[in-house]
Amino acid sequence: MNLIKSEWRKLIYARAHWGLLIAATFISTLSVVVTPFIIDSQGELFGFGLDQTEAVDSTYANGISGYIFAIILGIMLMAGEFRHGTAVATFLTAPKRGSVLAAKLAIAAVGGVLIMWVSAGISFLAGYVTLMSFENVASPSENLFLNTMIASTIGGAVLGVIGVALGTLVRNQMLAITGALVYLFVIDPILLTVWPDTGKYLPTGLITAMLAIDVDAPELGFDTSNYLPPLEATGFLLLYGAVFAAVAVATSLRRDID
Amino acid sequence: MTTVIAFQNLVKRYGKQLAVADLTANVESGKITGFLGPNGAGKSTSLRCLVGLAKPTSGEATIFGKRYQEIENPLSKVGTVLDSRGFHGSLTGAQNLRVMAAAAGIGNDRVDEVLSLVELSDAAGKRVKGYSLGMKQRLSLAGAILGDPEVLILDEPANGLDPAGIAWLRNFLRTLSGSGRTILVSSHQLAEMQNTVDNVLIINKGQLIADGNMKEIIGDGTLEEAFLRMTLGELQ
Ligand SMILES: Nc1ncnc2c1ncn2[C@@H]1O[C@H](COP(=O)(O)OP(=O)(O)OP(=O)(O)O)[C@@H](O)[C@H]1O
Ligand SMILES: [Mg+2]
Repeated sequence: MNLIKSEWRKLIYARAHWGLLIAATFISTLSVVVTPFIIDSQGELFGFGLDQTEAVDSTYANGISGYIFAIILGIMLMAGEFRHGTAVATFLTAPKRGSVLAAKLAIAAVGGVLIMWVSAGISFLAGYVTLMSFENVASPSENLFLNTMIASTIGGAVLGVIGVALGTLVRNQMLAITGALVYLFVIDPILLTVWPDTGKYLPTGLITAMLAIDVDAPELGFDTSNYLPPLEATGFLLLYGAVFAAVAVATSLRRDID
Repeated sequence: MTTVIAFQNLVKRYGKQLAVADLTANVESGKITGFLGPNGAGKSTSLRCLVGLAKPTSGEATIFGKRYQEIENPLSKVGTVLDSRGFHGSLTGAQNLRVMAAAAGIGNDRVDEVLSLVELSDAAGKRVKGYSLGMKQRLSLAGAILGDPEVLILDEPANGLDPAGIAWLRNFLRTLSGSGRTILVSSHQLAEMQNTVDNVLIINKGQLIADGNMKEIIGDGTLEEAFLRMTLGELQ
């Protein structure tokens, strides 16, 4: 419990973590706010407009766009210890490194959920206000908000945990963050085109599937029919996280601390 | 005499580099022991092995007969200042200590108390990246005494302190030692050490070359003369 409290303090004291929350909120709000305009101006080409429930649902669904910041938060919580040299104080205070890792995983999950809740919540409000300026707007489907909240909660926790596992494995914070971004946005899409069948087991496919909120709008790229069911995808992601963490426990977590 | 800290055939190798070569030495309870040696002698490495941050290649280093990792709530038994940076620059001094305090189950009152003991109360709310070298060193010392430990392990604690700070540190160590605490302190300030410490351990190239109380080691001369004689060979 003491370690959890200590990690919680690290989470809320560091300004960089608040920066991540702001960035996540900014990105998700931006994508929620611009979507109706895109649909309104381009949708006619596909016979798709804001008077359809799917269009409104996919607008709100962009509220989970801040998920990448949950991963970055997780990475920073662990790799930041080595970057700032606080690992020395941390492991002098709590030399059982596995316990520190466990506390960080828990706090990263909480932090990831908070990032997702705040960023999704604020972007929903912004989306609601934006949609009011259009005429003939359909109502979102009944379960949309509940589903999004569930996806944000599970997604934020799982991605935070994966971030910590990554940051433990790759102690260099810049390398871990750029590595994760390059992998997710460059390498994964390439792998996806080379081996389309395995795509649903790759992290981006799993993340999309996990966050899938029953929104299907192929016109807008919300085509989840090829992905795994959300629960299975969540399980696979946790498996990735567990493998990273296990490798980290066996390797980098044992290394000397400078 | 009771042994508090024991190095037992400690070896630490970094690739081909032998940083500590079979060090065996004991540190007595209730005394200030100076840990001396030229640059690169292996002092910091030995101390890092002692507190579990570096893994010995072979042999061991123990405190109260236990490896550091086996000590329950180590902050309450052992306080440590190492030569590396250990604080988050964008947190305030007080926040950095509160993070440590939480992990050790220590209250925030004690944080304020140690900050005032190291005369850092005025800068407690300032971000550490705005601290001077000496202020960071005082913060490290505050961290070391946070858990009111019986043993202190200090790697060059005088680093960056101004003359008033060094005088303050001398009194500080004497007061702590006067109340029965065991202190192992490394330093290059031999004149200062000669006035402060009871016992001396000198290492060179990872090996112990002298171990005894100050009088035995220096004889009629100064600590500096003895140190140079032992580490460079006879003075001409
Ligand atoms: N992390 C490391 N990787 C490789 N070599 C290291 C590492 N840490 C220390 N060494 C080497 O081990 C030897 C002992 O270094 P150490 O820092 O223990 O010396 P020291 O006695 O503390 O010196 P100083 O008085 O300069 O602080 C040196 O040769 C150093 O280069
Ligand atoms: Mg040193």
